[in-house]
Parts: sequence; C-alpha cells; structure tokens
Amino acid sequence: MRPRRLPALLVVLALLLAASAGAAKPIAHREVLPNGIVLLVAERPAIPIVVVRTFAHAGAVLDPPDRAGLANLTGALLTRGTAKHSGPELDSAIEFVGGSLSAGAARDGLTASLSVLKKDVGLGLDLLAEVLLTPTFPDDELKRKAAQIQAAIKRSEEDPGTVAGRALAKLVFPSHPYGVPVEGTVESVGKLTRDDVVRFHRGYVRPDTTIIAVVGAVTVDEARREIVARFGGWKAPAEPPPTVSSVTPGATPQTQVIEKELTQATILLGRQAIRQTDPDYFPLTVGSYVLGGGSASRLYSRVREEGGLAYAVYSYANPARYGASFIVSAQTRTAEVPKVVEIMREELARMTREPVTERELKLAKDYLIGSFPLRLDTTSKVADFIVAVEEQGLGLDYADRYKERVAKVTAADVQRVAAKYFAPDTFNRVVVGAPKP
Amino acid sequence: MRPFLVATLVLLLAAAGASAQSSAERVLAATLENGLRVLLQEDHRSPVVSFQMWYRVGSRNEARGATGIAHFLEHMMFKGTPTYGQGQFARLVEQNGGQDNAFTSQDVTSYYVNIAADKIDLVIELEADRMHNLKLDAKDIASEREVVIEERRTRTEDDPGGFLGEEVGAIAFRSHPYGPPIIGFTEDIKRITPEEIRAFYKAYYMPNNAILVAAGDFKAAEVLAKIRAKFGKIPRGTPPPPVLAVEPPQNGERRVIVSKQAQLPIVYLGYHVPNQKSGDAFGLEMLSSILSEGRASRLYKRLVYQRQIALEAGGDYNYFSQDPNLFWFWATPMPGQTPESMEKALLAEMETLKTEPVTEEELQRAKNQVEAAFVFQEDSVHRRASLLARFELIGGYADKDRFVERLRAVTAADVQRVARTYFSDDKKNVGVLLPRP
Repeated sequence: MRPRRLPALLVVLALLLAASAGAAKPIAHREVLPNGIVLLVAERPAIPIVVVRTFAHAGAVLDPPDRAGLANLTGALLTRGTAKHSGPELDSAIEFVGGSLSAGAARDGLTASLSVLKKDVGLGLDLLAEVLLTPTFPDDELKRKAAQIQAAIKRSEEDPGTVAGRALAKLVFPSHPYGVPVEGTVESVGKLTRDDVVRFHRGYVRPDTTIIAVVGAVTVDEARREIVARFGGWKAPAEPPPTVSSVTPGATPQTQVIEKELTQATILLGRQAIRQTDPDYFPLTVGSYVLGGGSASRLYSRVREEGGLAYAVYSYANPARYGASFIVSAQTRTAEVPKVVEIMREELARMTREPVTERELKLAKDYLIGSFPLRLDTTSKVADFIVAVEEQGLGLDYADRYKERVAKVTAADVQRVAAKYFAPDTFNRVVVGAPKP
Repeated sequence: MRPFLVATLVLLLAAAGASAQSSAERVLAATLENGLRVLLQEDHRSPVVSFQMWYRVGSRNEARGATGIAHFLEHMMFKGTPTYGQGQFARLVEQNGGQDNAFTSQDVTSYYVNIAADKIDLVIELEADRMHNLKLDAKDIASEREVVIEERRTRTEDDPGGFLGEEVGAIAFRSHPYGPPIIGFTEDIKRITPEEIRAFYKAYYMPNNAILVAAGDFKAAEVLAKIRAKFGKIPRGTPPPPVLAVEPPQNGERRVIVSKQAQLPIVYLGYHVPNQKSGDAFGLEMLSSILSEGRASRLYKRLVYQRQIALEAGGDYNYFSQDPNLFWFWATPMPGQTPESMEKALLAEMETLKTEPVTEEELQRAKNQVEAAFVFQEDSVHRRASLLARFELIGGYADKDRFVERLRAVTAADVQRVARTYFSDDKKNVGVLLPRP
C-alpha cells in the first residue's frame, strides 16, 4: 500500500483543502435557532441512515494551563452517564439498534457524533441530547476514564509519529495551547477533578457556540422539528463565551532529537503558516501539493521513487481556528536521516528560488479541484465538511470559492508564498529514532 | 498491507457486512471469454465511481524463500508499462482528480481507483494495460526494494503489535503459507530477483485470475462494452497452481514470548478455526461480534470497563479467508497488570462462553449490529464494490444477500457449541510481548 493520503487526523483538513464544487445547489441548509445553535441540514435520501454531528467551541484551547487534558476528559465522559442513563445503559441502547454514539474533544472543539438507521433517529437524538445537555460525570466513571487516558498516553510513547508530533507542536507553538497535547500528560490528567469537568462543561458546551449538522435520509423540516424539540430549550449561561488568543509568532527554530530503539527514524519539519481566511492560503496549498502532496510531487519522486529512501514522505498545511502550521514529514532508515533532511531542505529552498513548472502547477490544480466529488461521496464526509466550514467561519459556499481561488493561482503566486513560508531555515526539526545505525 | 495485526482484523471485520437489500437485481455480472469476471453495480447518488481490480493472489501463494513477493509486485504495479511509463499511472489519475491505492492480503491483491464517473474510460485503459504489459525493470525493482523494506520497518520492526503478530503467525502455521508475514521477511525481500517477480506476475496476473468490480454513477451495459473492448484483447493465461497445503491439526499449546522496547505488554491468542465453507462459520462470526463490536460487547464491557484490567481487548474471526485461518484474541493490559493475568482473564471469558449460553440480548444486539452495518456500507460506492468482490472471491457475490439471513438464524446454543469446539487449551497459540524500557 502506498501512503499518499494524509493521516486520518487530517481528514477534515483534507476536505477543506480539496473543496470546490460545480454544484449550483447549496451544500446544506443553514439556520440559526433562537438560542444560537447553528443548524445545518443536508438531505441524502437514498440510503436510510442519518448522521448527526454536533460541534461546540469547547476544545483543548480552553484548557487552563495547569489542567491540560480537561476538554479531552470532558468529551470522553459525556457518554458515560446522564440524568436518565448510566454509561453502560447508553452503550446498550444505541448499540442494540446497530447505531453508534460517541463524543470527544480536539484542539478547537468538542464533537459528538451519532450514526443511526433512519427508523431509530428519534432514539438516537434523545440519547445525543442527553449526553450533551445532562451529563452527570459520575466519580467512578471519571476515575476509570482518567486511568484509561493515562494508559493510552503511556502507550502512545511507543509510536514514533505521535512522539514526534507532540515534540514538534511544542516547538511550533511554544506559548499557545496548540503546543500542548489535547490529551494532556499522565501528570496533568491525574490532577483533573470532577469539579473541573463540571465547570468546563457548564461554561463551554453551550448553545450559542454549538453547530448541529444533520445529514442523511431526513428533510430540513423534519430535522428542524426534531432538533428544536430536544435542543430548543437549551439556555446559554449568562457569562459570554470565552475568547481565545490566536497564536503568536514562533520562537527561533530549533532542532530536537529524541532517541528510541528503532530501525527507522521519523523526521518532521514544521513551522507556523496561515489559515484559509488568508488569500495566500491557496497558493500555499498548491505549493504544498507540488512539493509533497501526491505521487508526482517533488519529495515523493526524489525521496521515494528515485532514492528508495522512504515509504512515507509528504508535506501538508494544517490550519486550525487560532493558527496554522506547515509540516514536511518522512520516515527513513537511521543511516539515511542526513540525506533525507538534506533533500527536504533543498526542495523547500527550490520552491522559494524558482517558479514551479506549468506542468506541475496544472497537475496540482487539476487534482485539488477535480477530486472534490470524492470528498463528499458519503454521508459522514458531508457532515464533516459542513461542520468544518461553519466552524472555521468559511461559509457554506466555501467549496465554490475554493475552486475559483485555486484555479487562479499562478506559478509566481506559489513562488511568492513559498518565499514567505518555505525557507528551510525557518523550520523546526524533530527526529525520533536511534542515535546511530 | 497489514498495518499491524489488530488494524487488519478490524478492517476485515468492517468489510464483513451484508446487505439488507438484494444486490443481485442491481448487479450486472459477466464473465468475458478470456475468463475475466466482471461485476458492475450502478449507484447514481454521487458523480463518482469506485473501480477495483482484485487478483486472486496473496501471500498464500508464495513459496518459502520468496515471502513478500505478492506485496512487492503490488508496489511494482505502479512503476509503469511501455505505454504509460514510470509515474504515469499516478499522474494521470491525479490529473483527473482521482485517488488510487492498493493492498495485499493473505488471499488477494486489490487495486482501486476512485474517480469522477466521467473518467472511467481512462481507468479501464490503465488497468487493462498493467494487467498484461508491466515493465518490471530491474532498476525500478532495485529502488522499490528499499521502499518495501522501509514499509516493513514502519509496520513490523518498529511496531510492537506488528512485531508480535508476525511471531504468532510463525508458530501457529507449520505447513500452510498463512504463517509468514504478508510483507515478507527482510531476508526474502532483499533476495527476491527481478526474474522471480516477472515469473510471479506472469503466473498470477491474467484475466482468468481476476475480478473487476465497479460501483458508481455509470450505465452498466455501456461500461461492460468498454471493458470488453479493452480487457477482451488480453489472452487467457495458464491457470495458476492451486495452493495445496493443509495445516495439520495442532497437538498442543504453542507459545512465543518476545521482548521489545515498548510501554505496555501485549497478549495475542490465536485458535485454528474453519473458514466460511464450514457450517460453524456463522456461529464464529456471531461470536466475534458478541465479543468485540462496540462498548457493550463482552470483552470491552468486562475487561476494559468493569474489571479495568485492559486498555483494550477484542476477538476477531475472518469469515472471508480462503483457507482455514485463526480466530484472534488480543488485549493490552493496563499499567500494573501482568500479561499472565491478562491471558488468564481472556481464557476465563472463553470458559464462560463454553459453559453459559450468551444472553438473548447479546445475540440480538450482534445481529442488529451486523444488519445495520450492511445498510451503512451501502453509503459508500467504494465499500459496496469491495464487498461484492469479497463475496465473489469466496463463491459468489449473490451470497451477500443471504449472509444476514443466515446470521439471523444463529442461536445461543450454536455460539456455545463453536466456543466449545474451537477454543481448547491444546489448540492455543499464545504470543506475549514483554516491554523493555
């Protein structure tokens, strides 16, 4: 198998990257309910399933500095007990009808996801409303979940990609919550209390910052009726929603080597970049594709096809609500680390020095625009996409604008933006692996 | 592929659905004169198509000393033909907004292109070309060899789960080629010659050893005509030799203990079980669901949730295996727990399955989950096409429609009987990974 797709983590990002549409019809219906909930509905009548995603601005960016992992723990506990049902009762109820209900936090938000057959949508929404509005956070569930998270953090130390990613985030965002792992640390999770979780939920999981997307075999009227019936009475707290600072520029780029007994080294280069609201984001996306996006990219050709130096090598922009990064990544045998780093640096520099060829430019644009239908070909993908564009404030017509903007990018644009963001000396570097072959 | 053992099992499980609706009436099935089997399923919800080639060759068909050759050849399938040279396949697919990839399993090698439906002619052309005209240049083989070894480092050498899975495979099979890893041993990957790869290609890549499946927004009759025009010209080949090895009965427990830098231990258990040709297959399939599907499933609920001794635990049966294979159990003990106590806990669960029938609720839930999974599967053209291929590989795509019905017929007594029949101590293969700091 050839890993040319981005890691699963970046699925939503990938959706945004590839967005464009020929569709004349808006991708979803949007309305704001009186209590501030943004309701998005996309009808897909052919298959009798319904997918619902809720997104609240209650991500790890809101973790207090000494409470890393709080959003993550809160999210994980939502399905572990409500005013009406214990955790195991919730599990049994949804799984008995072959559905699923889960919740969890990421950097910017807390998401709950429901998938059910159409005939069970009433039951599914009842349970979804319970977990969002009336979670009870039982003490024993909190202890259990905290111990599981701590064990998972411990185990993740054996995954070189995770170790490298954590180290790089800290270097790229040294003074912002984005530099702190969403799951926290073994120590910080150990300190979290039920009071912390209750306060976090009460303050930040609130209707006036919540998006609810309903996609599948459901009409707009049905969706509105069912959502209003369950979430219409949800009231926002008196205090205003929290504000979060955007990232501040990174410090002087650094290099960090983390030694592990491994046969292969994981190399990450990373720096801050820009998000979709910056007009330069489109040339950046095209440039990244030419550099390390597909099987015809410069890095793939030199590092993998010609050099046989790596199985996985790629570059990508990683935008989030309060900041963005640009990453170049490869895994190679220990002895070849210097050579691969050198190729990465050379190719980054070449992007700043000379314009990409017309052929490369066309391929990147054709792919980014032409692969759009594949990004929206399942119910879950549509739900992820509409939540992401709403959450990032891009507008439901973002798909069309994206296509137009990508189509307009020139080789000169790419070079100009590369000069700003691809200069090799501006990248932090993390290597996880054995010190010597 | 085989990212690591557990992930592979989960993937297979995900593929093991069936369809609530009859697929037979909507599938155009044909066998060309040269033996190519073609299955076409129209699905007009999105303007996309999933086009898949499934070759009946995997690590099962490999000889000792040449393990990994099927997977090596999968990599080489992207390296060009005289008509479409090095890199052209990927470039053409990307230029047309498509996504492609491939995987190799014990039984099959599968290639897919997901692309806008109006590009299907291009894919037919490319796939027909590389079925018959692959270049297999010695220089390309030399550089790709290094890439495959890097892939092995990622998946096996540096991944504790993959590392242990390979060891358990080695003790469980003494005669059948399911023992060695799909990716092959490093020694073999290094040794395999271009001549051997060319011979392997010639022996297995032919129309009468392949299944072409497509699902998506097309007119089946038109596409069939196009397939005939391109693939029909490829001559029928000499049928590949059958796999004759039959794994002899296991006469006592086998155990392997490995030590590796890791954070937590891992325990794997593998029991020899029959494949779908046996009447017990549906009982085993149900058992697998009851044990592992969701948070209400038995192993999760008891070992992870109630007793809190495992970070994760599950069991899986591969219904689609061409030859009899293993029923796997896996568990990761929580910090402070030993692999010995973990193994005991798993065995105690098996004893319970033998002595007490599963509850009606457990059985009903598992059946509902499988049935719902088949409906969810219909949401993706990629998954629809894959499932048709999987059923075709074991006897006929139309069996897909009887699968749910036959699962529905499984009783608690059946589940108890299969547990008693197959989970005996002297048929156990145990793998333990002891973490080294």
